[in-house]
Amino acid sequence: MVDKALKDMTFEDFCRAVFNTKDTFHKPEVLKGIRAISTTQYILGPSCACYLAELGAETIKVELPKRGEPMRHTTPFNEPFLYPLSRWMPDKGTGLGFFGANPNELFLSLDFHKPEAIEIMKRLAAKSDVFAENYRAGTFDRWGIGYRQHAAINPRVIYQWMGGFGGWGPGRNRASYDILGQAQGGCFSVTGWPKEYGGMPSKQTIWIMDYWGGAISAFNIIACLYWRDNVSGKGNFLEYSQVHGAQRHLTDSIALYGKTGIVAQRWGNWDPLLSVHGILKCGKSSYPNSKNPQEQEVGFCFVSAFKDEDFKKLCSVVGNAELAKKYPTHADRVGAVAQTELYPALEKWAADKTKEEVWKAFTGAGLVSQPVWNSNEAAEQEHWHLRGSMQWLDDPTFGDVLTQGVAYRLSETPGRIKHVFKPVGADNEFVLAKLCGYGGSEIADLEKKEII
Amino acid sequence: MAESWRTEKKRPKIKVLPWPAIPPPTVDEVYAGVDEKKKEYNLWIESAVRQEFNANKPESLFGIRVLDMTTNQSIGHWCSSHFSELGAEVIMVEPVGGDPLRKLTPFGREEYMFTSRDGEKCGVKFLAEARNKLSVTLNVETDAGRNLLKAIIPQVDILIENAAPGHYDKLGIGYRQLSEINPRLIYLWVGQRGQWGPLKDQPGAMDPVAQCSMGFVHGTGAPVSFGGTPTRSGWWLCDHVGGTFAAMGAMAALYAREKFLGHGQFVECTGAEAVIRIIDYNWAWNGMDGSVRPRYGNWDLAINIYAVNPCADGQIMVGGGHDRLWFRIWRAAGKVKPALEQHICEDPKLRVVTDRLPHYQQVETYTTLVEWMKDCTRFQCETALQEEEVASGGVSFIDEVCEFPHYKYRGHVRLLDDGEYGKVLLGGSSFIGSNTPGRIKWVGRPVGKDNEDVYRGLAGLNRQELASLKKGGVI
Repeated sequence: MVDKALKDMTFEDFCRAVFNTKDTFHKPEVLKGIRAISTTQYILGPSCACYLAELGAETIKVELPKRGEPMRHTTPFNEPFLYPLSRWMPDKGTGLGFFGANPNELFLSLDFHKPEAIEIMKRLAAKSDVFAENYRAGTFDRWGIGYRQHAAINPRVIYQWMGGFGGWGPGRNRASYDILGQAQGGCFSVTGWPKEYGGMPSKQTIWIMDYWGGAISAFNIIACLYWRDNVSGKGNFLEYSQVHGAQRHLTDSIALYGKTGIVAQRWGNWDPLLSVHGILKCGKSSYPNSKNPQEQEVGFCFVSAFKDEDFKKLCSVVGNAELAKKYPTHADRVGAVAQTELYPALEKWAADKTKEEVWKAFTGAGLVSQPVWNSNEAAEQEHWHLRGSMQWLDDPTFGDVLTQGVAYRLSETPGRIKHVFKPVGADNEFVLAKLCGYGGSEIADLEKKEII
Repeated sequence: MAESWRTEKKRPKIKVLPWPAIPPPTVDEVYAGVDEKKKEYNLWIESAVRQEFNANKPESLFGIRVLDMTTNQSIGHWCSSHFSELGAEVIMVEPVGGDPLRKLTPFGREEYMFTSRDGEKCGVKFLAEARNKLSVTLNVETDAGRNLLKAIIPQVDILIENAAPGHYDKLGIGYRQLSEINPRLIYLWVGQRGQWGPLKDQPGAMDPVAQCSMGFVHGTGAPVSFGGTPTRSGWWLCDHVGGTFAAMGAMAALYAREKFLGHGQFVECTGAEAVIRIIDYNWAWNGMDGSVRPRYGNWDLAINIYAVNPCADGQIMVGGGHDRLWFRIWRAAGKVKPALEQHICEDPKLRVVTDRLPHYQQVETYTTLVEWMKDCTRFQCETALQEEEVASGGVSFIDEVCEFPHYKYRGHVRLLDDGEYGKVLLGGSSFIGSNTPGRIKWVGRPVGKDNEDVYRGLAGLNRQELASLKKGGVI
């Protein structure tokens, strides 16, 4: 199904043509005609709903009136904000914590504690395909808008509950956040340097259990839509527990423990499976005169040379024939003792070099290597902008913003970012008039009663 | 002890306890003392989603066939696990002799490998993501191998590969050629940074290349002033996140094919871009004023209290960003050390949520908090904080994770009785649901175990043809 012109291109040009980000808005959206309601806070729930919005689902985010959800008030060191928070609060802004988990959505504000709000929720439930929530398990059931009541109104609904420990089991009442999932789930225990090297269990930079949990939930929702629309016509009740994600990621360590009783430990920037396959400290900073202390730091560079022929090349780059002789095969190199000798020897060579010098020397010899880039260096790479994984977006509310794009590329039905988010309650009138049958004066009345 | 452990040859023998060492709690124990009305909802969910009932339920992706042709990296295997857990038929197509990943084992230690019924060894990294999949071998570098692939392509819905950019296209089995044979084919390429563009994948690039090139490694670990360095994740994080987004992309293509498109498409997903998508606010912040996201160790730039800090027997997580939780946390500390609660609650500079975020206020907060926690164990801290309904939990190691009652009870960790590899402890499927839950049926297959079934069934090969392909090194 490929045009003749595309067939004759080089592979690179072919890819650039079919994945060209300039054509994105000329192509159809996968989830057109699917409506999702998202009554979620923080990152786990919102991110799940926003992945559907990226694919074209009409996603309505429901949050508390006035201040909106807590993530709007979360921003690094309390410095950067995007204004306004809402048309009622133009002097307040939304923090960057809200970024990345709410693009393309419509924003409805609603106070669930008022009975009229429940009526609005029921009207939304009757005409939505997906419902995502992350309140404490059973809360929505008590309010009369949980899965059981929902399914009675709309049996085709796919109801995704997301939360910390799940709605059943000994820990069901426990509160949770992303780092609790990382900590108690086991992820901390294998990340960071060993104690002997001055390290401790460490968290991943990102709110990984949240963002990844949202992604796997969104995948499951699309699979359930597929099953509903092509096979059964039935909806589904889905439950995702944050702590569970960690065990999924650590499956190999769990299997190892079950078989041998070995408890996997931290191994810093090296790799237990492959050697040489690690990050080297380079002694010189790339920007010694920068005013930013982040940039004055010395550099780091990754190098991979686990195959015998690559390792020989590596040894000749660093001018250390001894190493090549001492560790001729991968079996010789991959042992724990060998690794503790190899990397310091390589770092000795890198001690008077910047990460760029080290990178150049390795790639010049045909080795796989990559300097550790900070977020500014990464943001400057043309590669990401060309491919659409990062983009300067002309946002309708906030003007020019640098934002992440959709994670994956589809040649015929690509996902897309239309806006990064909107102020609290920005779409109240649109949603209430379009979906819930409220007139202008009724909406004004709801606003006066502080229901929306 | 540490030194004797390092002298590789004399490793202490570890007594392997049967799992679970302590049986999981029973339903009655879990809900003891909870009144009927309160537990009604919990018991309803349990009856709807408990994994014991999985075998009675349908699978959402039954009837979908996936060829996973990826090797060396974990991104493709991780991706195809999503499909195999939900009932698709996933066939791993490995080079003759098997995916090199099968041979990898921590520190090269063979005793950590799993052994099949026929005595074939397989490393745990590979086996962990071979669930519910079949294994065939195929040498796509030969004409006969490519012809065999083309013969089965009409019956394939999704093909996943991770060869060097353009390699399959050059061999005549890329998207452009295979979509001629089967227009409904969804062709997914996975990798680290992409098959096109200035930073496209070099042959042999693996997960850390992605981790280093988009700011993840630079942002993980403690700041220099706290003695830290940039740090990579302890697992192949970009492969995992990339694999999940790749699965989402392929699933979206499948949905579009059935709903309105009628044909397949070319899909691409990379580890680096998947993590770029989810790395918080880094790009927006950089775009606003050129800020570089700094490392902040086990604390958080944007929420205070939301951190992991040392305690008497390890490290403990405490989280509570807004006022309600803030005061509860200090109440828990104040029960033991009233002076600490007083010190914080009377400080005017810490009264407003947003005022607590600057660095020096975070240092003040956590220094005071650790004054309390340093004398308590993880369990004591956790209990005290949970009494105040604050999110808290100790940093757990794998043995503690495997024995954690909540995980055992819910099947997050479960023992699989596998026909080939015996009893294997695994992290369970994350797809918990009422009608179409995910499940793990077997852990993996030895190299090429399903050659005969698959090539007879899909390509109609007979005994002689199979034998001659095998002899020619094609399968």
